[in-house]
Amino acid sequence: MSRIVLEARDIRYRYPRGREAIRGISFHIRRGEKIALVGPNGAGKSTLLQMFNGMIRPDSGMMLFDNEPIRYNTSSLRQIRKRVGFVLQNPDRQIIAPTVYQDVAFGPVNLGYDEPAIREAVAVGLRHVGLEGFERRPPHQLSGGEKKRVAIAGVLSMDPDVLVFDEPTSGLDPSGSEDLMELLDELNHDGKTIVISTHDVELAYPWADWVILLLEGRILQEDVPDVAFGNPEYVRMAHLSVPTLLDLSVELGKRGFALPGRKPRSVLDMIDIIENLLHGSCRNPAPGTISVCNVDEEATSSLSAWVKTRPGLAVGAMGTRAKQRASQEQLTLEFTYGVIDKCILRALRGQDSLILTTGSMVGRVAVRVEAYCRESGNIISVVSMSTAEQPPVTGLMDEEVRQNDHPH
Amino acid sequence: MFEEFLEDIAQKNGLRQINTYLKLAGGTGAILLCLLSSSYIAPLFIAVLLTFGILFLARVDAKTYAGLFIYPFWFALMSVAGLILIYGGGTVFWSWHPTVWLSLSITRESINQGFFVFSRIIGGMSAVCFIALTTPMTDIFVVMRRCRVPGFVIDLAMIIYRTIFILMDQVRQIYYAQVMRLGYSTWRESIHSFAAMCGAAFIASWDAGDDLIRAMDARCYDGKFALLGENRPVEMRPFLALCAFLLAASAVVFASQGMTLL
Repeated sequence: MSRIVLEARDIRYRYPRGREAIRGISFHIRRGEKIALVGPNGAGKSTLLQMFNGMIRPDSGMMLFDNEPIRYNTSSLRQIRKRVGFVLQNPDRQIIAPTVYQDVAFGPVNLGYDEPAIREAVAVGLRHVGLEGFERRPPHQLSGGEKKRVAIAGVLSMDPDVLVFDEPTSGLDPSGSEDLMELLDELNHDGKTIVISTHDVELAYPWADWVILLLEGRILQEDVPDVAFGNPEYVRMAHLSVPTLLDLSVELGKRGFALPGRKPRSVLDMIDIIENLLHGSCRNPAPGTISVCNVDEEATSSLSAWVKTRPGLAVGAMGTRAKQRASQEQLTLEFTYGVIDKCILRALRGQDSLILTTGSMVGRVAVRVEAYCRESGNIISVVSMSTAEQPPVTGLMDEEVRQNDHPH
Repeated sequence: MFEEFLEDIAQKNGLRQINTYLKLAGGTGAILLCLLSSSYIAPLFIAVLLTFGILFLARVDAKTYAGLFIYPFWFALMSVAGLILIYGGGTVFWSWHPTVWLSLSITRESINQGFFVFSRIIGGMSAVCFIALTTPMTDIFVVMRRCRVPGFVIDLAMIIYRTIFILMDQVRQIYYAQVMRLGYSTWRESIHSFAAMCGAAFIASWDAGDDLIRAMDARCYDGKFALLGENRPVEMRPFLALCAFLLAASAVVFASQGMTLL
């Protein structure tokens, strides 16, 4: 089990001349975890988040970072703010400088980096969020999603260990929200601990490793998502709703269907449960293949040509660079979020798909598919695009093609 | 009430990638040559060239440019009309003496002088438009630092620049909210709504100031504002074009010395 990175010990806070916003909260967050603080408006989520980087000092109790109590002198606060990056709900309130470059450089400049290091930090920040080439743009000309990305790049340029997001998807359209959650996954995969506050249970349920339900400045419950959201009474008290998948699984259980102990966290999990209930009768005997392409290595010309030779192939992209590459090559992306699961679902239907991704995420595809196969007993092959030179020979797609060729 | 900002046009103009110093040299050089010229020809020549540059090189929409030009144009026209009536000298074409202390006349000299001033205004205006439409403020900050303007002035200017757009956005939202609820239906109501909008904008800017401090603190603010971006390198073609423009304009200034309309 990984080390504890952030810890709260019986913290309390009252706003000047106001109500008590935090009423005795204790919890801890481990390195590399994805945590969702969930609660209704006014539950104290934002106040609590601001304690993570010392923006608010608790009236009593103690906040610890790396098992050391947070000290509130200037130099300690600088140190903690470098290591705990905070992304505000409204990016307009976070972006300070007149151009994207200057804004992303703000943190590194104030941390005293030299010029080459600043350039490098800005380049890394912008590359992470996919805004290379936006350096000279003024923030007021960007869309809501792009502003959010600039705000995130500004924090990433300081290379924090923990990233705290206050309502990360507020004000974003569904596709923008999906992109952002994908970015959070990518950052988590790179080793960052991510904490978000939200009242969107459908967003928190599949994403988080651990959920903390907050109500009126207290922790109502903290647990893994299916347990945290599985108590209808707590969910009702917190003015939330039970996530649809969880609700569905509970309803199936109440109707006497034998369900596995683990609750479904995704559509893939749910499909598996239903297939098992039907004893695999709707399972395709010849599952499709998932090809993986590392866009950092693959030559530009070969990628679009490869896709063109395989009609019916669905393309998904994981990560910002992969999405940019797809748009450069004018490839239509069918999946941009939850890509691996969606490709597994396709493979189970006997159809093939291609996942575009970058360096470290290539391995993640194989690991995830292997874990799924081990658990479900299905066999799905993951091949590297460069080795899958021949068009696939199995699957529904080819059957469909044959049927089209010979209608009689 | 809320047309596109000049700054937005400048950010997207066709000469955006050209070195800032070259564009500023073109603009300020044109203003100086307009002032140095003793004839109406050179300022008009400069105005024509710069208008060509704005419309075809910077690819600014002609309607936008005309809209920008129209107010100073009318102002210049009225000023020059007054000047022509008051200024004297040379052959008198028309005169009128309504009272003992007021005499109005149009003379050869007054027309020459009036047209000369008018052409200078047009030349100067086109130079100012050229700078405003091709050089965004974000590039001017870089030049300001290079010109040793004190750091706190630039930092303040940058924060003001950033905040203006946020504030304008809020004012826009409040304004529309008022219009939708008939806030500007009568004159009396307009005064009331406008005052309410100013009050709300003040509170919003106060809040924004608080948030700004928090945002800067959260990102380790240590008295240093963000580093400035880089200027684009001086490229040969724009440099030669600038030299050709300044040389041609200087030649016209020199050749047209003392030439008058009449």
